[in-house]
Amino acid sequence: MKLLGIVGSAAEESYNRQLLQYIEKEFATKFDLELIEVKDLPLFDESNDQTESVAIQNLNRKVLRADGVIIATAEHNHTITPGLKSLIEWLSFKIHPLANKPVLIVGCSFYDQGTSRAQLHLRQILESPGVNAIAMPGNEFLLGNVKEAFDEFGNLKDDKTRTFLQATLQKFMKFISVVSKLDETKDQLPDEDLQARGSVATTIPDVDMSSDHWVEEAAAKVHPVKGDTYVQLDHGILTVDQIDELLKSMPFEITFVDGNNQFLYFNHTEDSKNMFAHRKPEQVGNPIGNCHPARTHEHVKQVISMLRAGKLDSFHMPVPHGPGKYVVHNYQALHDTDGNYSGINEYILDFQPIIDWYLKKTGKQLVGGKVDAVSGASKKDTVEKPDAVSSASKKDDTEKPDATSGASEKVSRQQPDAISGASEKD
Amino acid sequence: MKKLIGIVGTNAANSTNRQLLQFMQKHFQKDATIELMEIQNLPMFNKPTTDKLPEIITEMAAKIEAADGVIISTAEYDHSAPAALLNALDWLSYNIYPFVDKPVMVTGASYGALGSSRAQAQLRQVLDAPELHAMIMPSSEFLLGNSLNAFTEDGQLKDATTIEKLEGIFADFLLFVDIAKQLKNAHAANKKAAADFDWDKIK
Repeated sequence: MKLLGIVGSAAEESYNRQLLQYIEKEFATKFDLELIEVKDLPLFDESNDQTESVAIQNLNRKVLRADGVIIATAEHNHTITPGLKSLIEWLSFKIHPLANKPVLIVGCSFYDQGTSRAQLHLRQILESPGVNAIAMPGNEFLLGNVKEAFDEFGNLKDDKTRTFLQATLQKFMKFISVVSKLDETKDQLPDEDLQARGSVATTIPDVDMSSDHWVEEAAAKVHPVKGDTYVQLDHGILTVDQIDELLKSMPFEITFVDGNNQFLYFNHTEDSKNMFAHRKPEQVGNPIGNCHPARTHEHVKQVISMLRAGKLDSFHMPVPHGPGKYVVHNYQALHDTDGNYSGINEYILDFQPIIDWYLKKTGKQLVGGKVDAVSGASKKDTVEKPDAVSSASKKDDTEKPDATSGASEKVSRQQPDAISGASEKD
Repeated sequence: MKKLIGIVGTNAANSTNRQLLQFMQKHFQKDATIELMEIQNLPMFNKPTTDKLPEIITEMAAKIEAADGVIISTAEYDHSAPAALLNALDWLSYNIYPFVDKPVMVTGASYGALGSSRAQAQLRQVLDAPELHAMIMPSSEFLLGNSLNAFTEDGQLKDATTIEKLEGIFADFLLFVDIAKQLKNAHAANKKAAADFDWDKIK
């Protein structure tokens, strides 16, 4: 699940930012939370329409892609901040990405009121016809006296507050699924053309994509630079040869597919038969429909459409390659500088040597019969708990290493108690 | 003659709220001088850590401080006052307190039929906050709906009943300004409360 967190204060130091950062970290196994800053946007001015600016368009895209939005509002003068109001005005003027979007309101303030008035104003604002968001009712989360609320690691100190926040977010995730049922057509993504019959700005026209010599034929059309010609990159200058050397040195097989679903490149280091994915130079240029067996096409389409729509940033699929290997096909969405989808970086990596190396270096062991080494290790590293892999199974339920597979079911079974308990108490 | 400030409660280049204040400025010129104050081109309020406020803000604050009263004419975006107006008010209550016990009349114009009713209701709550603490004239709602069609080409309000209502409220406001001068018993305490409202010392 992908959520967007809006930091509703333009202040450099904001406890609302801290609250969202805490949520992002604490609930990392339940959803991805991307934070948006109101301070990065211009103040709304209807006579200087900047809807088409990169900043507003990026924001628009992110809101549209998100399953839900969490707004953390500060309170200034009994209402929300000008920065947050301005963001909402941009998103209700010429574009309306918040329409029908599930929204959770939270807020913290220095004093007891904890943004109570600002939150009520915000509810009225979200309900206006130009915004038309669907704010979750009830479950008011006010964090008063915020200066005392967090410990030095940015964690909420108070157990009851943590439990209540957890219950609120659990409910919000359910609320999102309920709200999405109001509009069943919403999640139907456009079909993907695996035959690449369309084109994108970089498509080389009038060359037979399925030709065994596509690279040579396309090169004759566009005369690409090669060899010791310099290319300027973000950030640096390399020759084409150096780029090639760099890509070939990567400890994985890497493939580039453009936004038109055309296979344009792979790092050719081995003979086809020695590769995890048996890429051949003559396949380059093909529509990806030609590179996958027909039985997989529906699945391939599904993954690409979700990457294109931003429902997923990346997709990871383990593929068995015999004992002593843990090979994962990773599909990472690519975006141009304006944030538009521009294709896929598929990299195929054997994680086993990395895991072995890590265990050897740290002296740690994998324990438990069914520890999912890959997801466990990578997830744990991001929360900076060096002992996470070995001790994770004992951790509380917000940090289960098997979160990607089983935790969500487990949590939803436990949750009814937690929710009713918390709401009664508060 | 009373000196009033009329704050154009939007940063839009074309605004019927500006038109409304211009109309009032002219229509009531025998009773009061109304100086229009714009809130365009202010930086976004970001709770700066330095004490030094932008010069444009301190100039605005000085004018408000010197005025007998303030008229705020608000537009309505998304059921609430424009970000630009909230922005101006945040600046004008950050370590400076020109609005404390200042008589304020709220008006508003909108293109739709409701005439900024909800923005005005929120604005009244905003003006009641400790650091603004304006003396808002009660029971005086003036809503100008369908405002694009409300004025003649030379800026006159077309509807006689609307003018009559505005004249009544404005006469009351001038009286309210006088009454407000007598309601000063708590003024020193209010100023102090506003100044003590320190973000860093709040318990």
